[in-house]
Amino acid sequence: MSERQHSTFEDEQLIRPIEQTGPGFYLMVAVLVGVIAFAGYTYIRQILFGLGVTGLAQPVSWGFYIINFVFFIGISHAGTLISAILRLSKAEWRRPITRMAEVITAIVLAIGGLHPILDLGRPDRMLHLFTEGRLQSPLLWDVTSITAYFAASTVYLYLPMIPDIAILRDRGTRPRWLYEFLAWGWRGTEHQKKVLERAINILMVMVIPIAISVHTVISFIFSMTIQPGWHSTIFGPYFVVGAIFSGIAALLIVMIAFRKAFDLGKYLKLIHFQYLSTLLLIMSFLWFYFTFAEYLTGFYGHEPNEMRVFLYKFTGDYAPWFWMMGICNFLIPVVILVNPKTKKIPGILIASISVVIGMWLERLIVVVPSLANPRLPYPTGIYIPSLTEWSLFAGGVAVFVLAFMLFAKLFPLISIWEIQEGREKSVHAVAERLKSYLPDPPSEQLLSEELGNRR
Amino acid sequence: MKNDKIIFWLQIASVSWIWIFVLGVAIWILNLIRVAHKINDALNASVGISIVAIPVFFTLAAILTYVFVGLQKDKHQGDVRTNQTGGIDSSWRGIK
Repeated sequence: MSERQHSTFEDEQLIRPIEQTGPGFYLMVAVLVGVIAFAGYTYIRQILFGLGVTGLAQPVSWGFYIINFVFFIGISHAGTLISAILRLSKAEWRRPITRMAEVITAIVLAIGGLHPILDLGRPDRMLHLFTEGRLQSPLLWDVTSITAYFAASTVYLYLPMIPDIAILRDRGTRPRWLYEFLAWGWRGTEHQKKVLERAINILMVMVIPIAISVHTVISFIFSMTIQPGWHSTIFGPYFVVGAIFSGIAALLIVMIAFRKAFDLGKYLKLIHFQYLSTLLLIMSFLWFYFTFAEYLTGFYGHEPNEMRVFLYKFTGDYAPWFWMMGICNFLIPVVILVNPKTKKIPGILIASISVVIGMWLERLIVVVPSLANPRLPYPTGIYIPSLTEWSLFAGGVAVFVLAFMLFAKLFPLISIWEIQEGREKSVHAVAERLKSYLPDPPSEQLLSEELGNRR
Repeated sequence: MKNDKIIFWLQIASVSWIWIFVLGVAIWILNLIRVAHKINDALNASVGISIVAIPVFFTLAAILTYVFVGLQKDKHQGDVRTNQTGGIDSSWRGIK
């Protein structure tokens, strides 16, 4: 009997996509590679002809690339942060979700982190960072914190995968050398379990402040300037809230897509979507609160330069995008998610897509209007993205989808050991925990004394 | 057996690579402090950031190394492999 034939364990379904590949996979890969190749071509063209091929022109010197940079890094908060918080708070419903969330983080961070390079007419000058960089600049804080977050997220993704990788190794799944290499000699002994658990626990705590620091520092590249519309003390938390908001929405979209593609309805149940979408709803209210506070403060001050940007967003050229942002980030998700009848998977998908679009528009609203209306007496700038920028945006999204698909082709998207642990231990553990929350029942001695007193 | 050796050395190389990466980051940050000092720039900002950033990277590398060394200890306990059905002994987090 071959090693594969004896494998009929109950979570076979999670391994099936790794061991069997349908034609749809190859077709999808071909389409994505095509999009990426076109994006690569436009980027080479940009290197050859300079940033003139983009829609960037003074005073709007930051456009799609920086918008997408902030957007992608924001999405990265889906993973490690949400996963770490759910693990830390011992939320049992996290089990089928954490792996997908962590994968999103690792992939999106890599994509987002490279976007500032796209924004350089001379990308070779990136190398000056190593020799002449200035740590006083928030741009360097970004480089440092994103590198730290990427390293921490990758480690945080990898370590809990080790037991699952060992399952694939022992089943003889190909490429066997890869699983042998990545399993790090895992045999599931008590000592190994102890080591891995200790490491995961340390990382879990460590990763939360790193994740928060990343988006705070990204907001600093705007708020540390004195540009109207950017110079705000609440930009740090505002960006973090927006990042978690868009991250949850992206996670929900990925969960719904792979639930359908891999037939994971047994693992990703309605309850998981409902819990996560409740979080999405809370974040929607929180985002609205921060947006309201941000704009009210600017409006109340009525400083002329600030008002120029304010009116540009509310009634000027960017008004359609501004109001669309409000509709996508607040109106649509709230209307869908407060109603139990629409808080089902199709409704949650619509709300999540709406939030992702809305949060992208929010990044657009933050970046462009302030640059188009500088403090200096220049005429209002115009920014219309070119085909190069659109294709590189599409390329970024295609890289994300492709990387996620390749990951799913090599590793289980749902943590097998966490599911097994959940089945065997969680019910008892939760019951015990629940008991510990409630007041202790009176002892027999106390009860008899009480009865005696009554008599 | 020969494959096992190759894989083991590749694993050692990957852990070493992590340390090279972390040391590279540390050297880079220290170099930027040197540059700030040389051009009379705000030195305390650079030092402040390095105090936070460098330990983070070293902790990450240390955690990975700790796990690698910890797992290698029992790697030859072949009979305690993941169970036959393909699952692992899911009581693994139930540490005594």
